Amino acid sequence: MKSVTKSKMIRMPLIGDVMMSGARTVIGIVMGLVAGGILIALSGVNPFAAYASMLRGAFGSLPAFSNVLVRASPLLLGGIGVAMGIKAGVWNTGIEGYMYLGAIGAAVVAIQPLSIPPILHVLLSFVVGMLFAAVWGLIPGYLRAYKGVNEVTSTIMLNYVAIYLTSWLVSSPQPLAEEGAFYPMSKLFQESAQLPILMRGTSLHPGAFIGIAICLLFYFILNYTPFGFRTRMLGSNINAARYSGVDTKKQVVFIMVIGAILGGLSGAIEVTGLKHRVYMEFVTGTGYQSVAVALLAGGNPLGVILTALFFAALKAGGATMSIETGVGASMTDVIIALCVIFVIAVGVDGRRRMKKKTAKAETAVTTEGKEDEHVV
Amino acid sequence: MVENEFALQMQDITKRFPGVLANDRISLDCKKGEVMGLLGENGAGKTTLMNVLYGLHQPDGGKILIDGKEVQITSPSAAIHYGIGMVHQHFKLVDTLTALENIVLGMPTKKAFLDLAPARERLMQLSDEYGLHVDPDTEIWRLPVGQQQWVEILKSLYRDAKILVLDEPTAVLAPAESDQLCQAIHRLTEEGRSIIFISHKLREVMEITDRVTIIRDGKYIGTIQTKEATQLKLAQMMVGRPVSIVRQPRPVIEKKEPILVMKDVNANDDRGVQALKNFNLTVNAGEIVGVAGVDGNGQRELSECISGLRKLTSGSITVKGKQVTDVVADPSFIGFIPEDRQKTGLVMDFSVAENLIIKDYYKEPYAKKNILHHPVIKKHAKELIEKYNIKTPSGDVKVRNLSGGNQQKVIIARELDAEPVLDVASQPTRGLDMGAVANVHDILLKERNRGAAILFISAELQEVMALSDRIIVLFRGEVMGVLDGDKADASTIGQMMLGQSPEVAI
Repeated sequence: MKSVTKSKMIRMPLIGDVMMSGARTVIGIVMGLVAGGILIALSGVNPFAAYASMLRGAFGSLPAFSNVLVRASPLLLGGIGVAMGIKAGVWNTGIEGYMYLGAIGAAVVAIQPLSIPPILHVLLSFVVGMLFAAVWGLIPGYLRAYKGVNEVTSTIMLNYVAIYLTSWLVSSPQPLAEEGAFYPMSKLFQESAQLPILMRGTSLHPGAFIGIAICLLFYFILNYTPFGFRTRMLGSNINAARYSGVDTKKQVVFIMVIGAILGGLSGAIEVTGLKHRVYMEFVTGTGYQSVAVALLAGGNPLGVILTALFFAALKAGGATMSIETGVGASMTDVIIALCVIFVIAVGVDGRRRMKKKTAKAETAVTTEGKEDEHVV
Repeated sequence: MVENEFALQMQDITKRFPGVLANDRISLDCKKGEVMGLLGENGAGKTTLMNVLYGLHQPDGGKILIDGKEVQITSPSAAIHYGIGMVHQHFKLVDTLTALENIVLGMPTKKAFLDLAPARERLMQLSDEYGLHVDPDTEIWRLPVGQQQWVEILKSLYRDAKILVLDEPTAVLAPAESDQLCQAIHRLTEEGRSIIFISHKLREVMEITDRVTIIRDGKYIGTIQTKEATQLKLAQMMVGRPVSIVRQPRPVIEKKEPILVMKDVNANDDRGVQALKNFNLTVNAGEIVGVAGVDGNGQRELSECISGLRKLTSGSITVKGKQVTDVVADPSFIGFIPEDRQKTGLVMDFSVAENLIIKDYYKEPYAKKNILHHPVIKKHAKELIEKYNIKTPSGDVKVRNLSGGNQQKVIIARELDAEPVLDVASQPTRGLDMGAVANVHDILLKERNRGAAILFISAELQEVMALSDRIIVLFRGEVMGVLDGDKADASTIGQMMLGQSPEVAI
């Protein structure tokens, strides 16, 4: 970073930027892993053995890796939902809630014995799930765009509403609920509404592949469509967006609803692919981890693919590590949190260093901003 | 030991910002018990000079003497230590705290718990003494603006300021409050405190000050005894700069087709205060109408109303017969060079190529069937970079990395290349160096000769006079007067800019 001078950056802006942001992320992750290693060592376990066990747990065998993919599925979809928000300058932290709503929507269709081909039954479940979530996302979107309500507050509050709404819906005697169940849960989904298992002996469903495809789709949308252009403009400079004729309020609602739809799909896939029922509180923090995924990826859809897989590998491997070495299972969450903190910290530090280094050049090229401040 | 006559002497203060010489060897002194006026146009360097005094900027040259002793003022707290108090034009108060809390804020205390009782007593005493009455327990945001200013002044007095700087204090005051302020100023000077009174309102300066220092373009023009000055003389010293931008000959355009027609337009600023009052204006094709005026007299609102960014409270605006109701983002109709190019005109993190199409990105040929065509966008950028001589390694470079002049060229290329029927150029040369300024002027003249109607808003009187076919002077959202561009002279306009109608002035 220090060696990258201003002139070099100008000469190769794209490669330079990507390399710099990529390098920052990698450095942050490595620092997070090292700090996690220290904590593991403090808990009396050889960190190298622990990480080796984690690696084995994630990549040691095909079934192990399939587990990573299964865990990556909701993170990919939730992550891209949040990432679109980041690109547009809004914090869509409601993924958790959208997942519940998506799952409920899917359940409404999936528990019905419909005489349609399985593929259609699944798709119909998805559509209804996404619809439910979209309506849910419309609320914070509208509030943010037209009433100025902070979207972080409203989405997190609505998450709780969604959680308790789901708990109520899957407790008997509500129509969705399984009667006489030991734990509040919905009726079992029809077999025609369950996603296929791709590998025998595992629970590998196509969710992760759908997620990756959607990340690629949104990469394309962001960079190659007017809609994406508008979105990026909104996130970079809302004044300029307004000046360029963008209906910024409408665009904010769009982006929030898109995030909700993706969150809803994430929930729908989770229940049709993995759980085959909607349980009370079946999502435990995945929605919030999606925010971390998007944050780590800097809102870049391709970055979301990598970070979602990375988080999933940590989670899957973490389970193995916990079993084999006795490190607490919560250590995975600690490591994830450390990685996020370090990536953000390295990023901030880097930006500040950049500022110092180029302060003179910067002010020289933008004298007019300075003049406003000083020469009145 | 002889007591020093001067409370403050600033000698040959020079302050350079990258590309701008904000203060060029400016001297200012203030005797004990004296009100010193500091007069100058916007951008003349008044605030910079005061920021140097208050330790916000370090001067590149010159020295500051307080009570005859040379001092280094390294920070505002050092300035307070030396007995300097400042009331900024934009108050620096915490809105959600009470007046009393604001006044004690930042005062060092040795106690573990805040004991406001002595502070309250002292505050009451001060407000009685100077006739600046404020309820100490009201939150700032509940106070009228005038009283907020009392709080600022009391805050300085609470710190026993010997030298009080008032930066455009009357801009926010009602007439009665202005009188109150005058009385307070008299009482302060009677005690031997010194006041530096910054303003560009001549009448007040004449009434309140003992002496006036005039600066212009960052340069020291002179200091005169107020008694010996006339408003006319002050106005001339303030705006009468040597002309270095020459008015160029221009073809006469006979046909008078009205393009921009504004009728009885009223509009508010961001705070909801009326910024344009019953504003009427017609700009014809092939004509440059220059808007002169001190910044903040409705210029921003005027340009935003025309481009549809700001809603009118009443009245109507039509461009070529078409009513402006919503944001007009069509450069083939209205080209709008906004006042704040980095905040409004550009997306700094977008490339030059992208910035050149931020209004047209969804139109052919840049987008076809909802897909952006990057090769076309790049080719378009290449053409405009060449045509407008934008200095950039390529169209892929982020606009952030360009110089101010080249950033402005990007905006001009985008806004004017499609040959709009109306150009609105708001402060298009602000912060640019001479070469870039000349370039902008050339382009605007060419636009005029092409037949575009041009509204040219600038705080630089000189360039308004050099470019305009007609000049309107804006004061507090109203047209103070309309002048012929060929005949207008600087001092008349200068007086109108200060809110004096020309009959009175001449």
